[in-house]
Amino acid sequence: MATDPTISLTIRTALGEFLKRDPATILPTQHLRDDLGLDSMAVIELLYRIEEAFDLQIPDQDLAGLTNVGHVVTYVEKRLEKSGSATPIEKQVKPSEPKNKKKS
Amino acid sequence: MRSRVVVTGLGIVSPIGIGVRDFWKAALAGQSGISAITSFDPFPMDGYRSKVAGQVRGFSVERFLDSAHGERVDRYAQFALVSTKEAVADSGLQLTKENPHRIGVIVGAGMGGMVMGEREIAQLYQQQKPHRVHPNFIPAITLNSASGILAMAYGAKGPNLTISTACSSSAHALGQALHCIREGHADVVITVGADASITPLVFAGFCSLRALSSRFNDHPEKASRPFDLMRDGFIMGEGAGTLILESAAHAKKRKARVYAELSGYAATSEAYHMVIPREDGIEVAHTMRLALADAGITPTQVDYINAHATSTTIGDAVESKAIRLLFKKRADAIAVNATKSLIGHTLGAAGAIGGIASVLTLHTGKIHPTANYDDPDPACALAGLSRSAQDRRVKVALLNAFGFGSNNAAVVLKRTTA
Repeated sequence: MATDPTISLTIRTALGEFLKRDPATILPTQHLRDDLGLDSMAVIELLYRIEEAFDLQIPDQDLAGLTNVGHVVTYVEKRLEKSGSATPIEKQVKPSEPKNKKKS
Repeated sequence: MRSRVVVTGLGIVSPIGIGVRDFWKAALAGQSGISAITSFDPFPMDGYRSKVAGQVRGFSVERFLDSAHGERVDRYAQFALVSTKEAVADSGLQLTKENPHRIGVIVGAGMGGMVMGEREIAQLYQQQKPHRVHPNFIPAITLNSASGILAMAYGAKGPNLTISTACSSSAHALGQALHCIREGHADVVITVGADASITPLVFAGFCSLRALSSRFNDHPEKASRPFDLMRDGFIMGEGAGTLILESAAHAKKRKARVYAELSGYAATSEAYHMVIPREDGIEVAHTMRLALADAGITPTQVDYINAHATSTTIGDAVESKAIRLLFKKRADAIAVNATKSLIGHTLGAAGAIGGIASVLTLHTGKIHPTANYDDPDPACALAGLSRSAQDRRVKVALLNAFGFGSNNAAVVLKRTTA
């Protein structure tokens, strides 16, 4: 799970603001939909805030894997590692071959 | 006793052809009108996740319209003028000889004048010169600009309405025109669906909603694939469709050629979510049931559905579920197709264009293919779908249209003569 507490805190703070609850109560294992009650539109809005906070773009193909808080944290960490953590992502990640994906 | 309502004229502007003959020929061939977006040039496409759309090619005001009307309105209304010109000619109506107060115009439009709208907004914020906003900005973006200009073009002084319910707009236009004629408020209603909003901001907005396909940017013709396992979102389209609706008595009196009868309609809301349909399909099934009841038709009589079928993961599954809920074991005996597989989602125009496809199916006994239906998704497969054209003497067609804002419409058409 999270190795960079800053990233985790930023994401949990964004979630906390969105859900109007204390970020400390938001846990990595919580499912965005089943535990936190986000519908697919709310997930999109949340990820929009995270894109802005970390200056990156999340391709459509990556959305399906972001189902719990920990997944989101890990994803952002990996994306920032690839680009160098202080460097904004300027180019869209090249989409990989599609798998059997279901949108929530 | 309420009047029967028939369809006597058709006209279309679409990504697979301007004019019904070209449209239908391309549709039966399964031709795709989806292509890479060039209309944002020189606006960069780099930042867009989706890069394809159903764009109308070969359209110009100079070529299709006289300047008096065409230059005063935005692209969507220009499309409406062209499709209506064709439809009125096709109907054989001599409108100058009709009582103008008995001729109505009802337009369905989701987005309206966005081409000029975005241009003027951008210019104002960049240049900060309010006095340089074009005087035609307000008339062009006001949503009833199409219904207004059409009334002026044809001297139609009867009921004049614009319905804006997103993607179900012109299905509701058909339904409200049906009511209008049934209840004796008009003899003829020029019924239109039109939208042309493949613009930098609107397109970006749909990208941000994660609603658009982005998987097939390198193969645009494969992007729109309703009910297919690899579908990943809808493809924006643009266009206009016009159907001339007329009371059966009026049509008979002037010995008009009748394409089909418009016999039922339902308008509902799921009261659920601005952009997500109810996953159980119950409300969609209810809407279809209501429309059939309005037509005095039982579900067992339906033999063709022009599905809303936008190629989104959720939407297609919900519609399929609703069809199975309503039609039960007969669901697989009904022919189904998805016009959006060929032209994308034309938003406010979708109901009218789907209506034209349905009318042509009733009239010709041919059902156009559903493009890219290569690998049926088990979650929403219907045996009546085909990626080939089908021959079938359809008697009863059901047209579905579901809009953002939890808005649903269904329209029933029948094969008949006046």
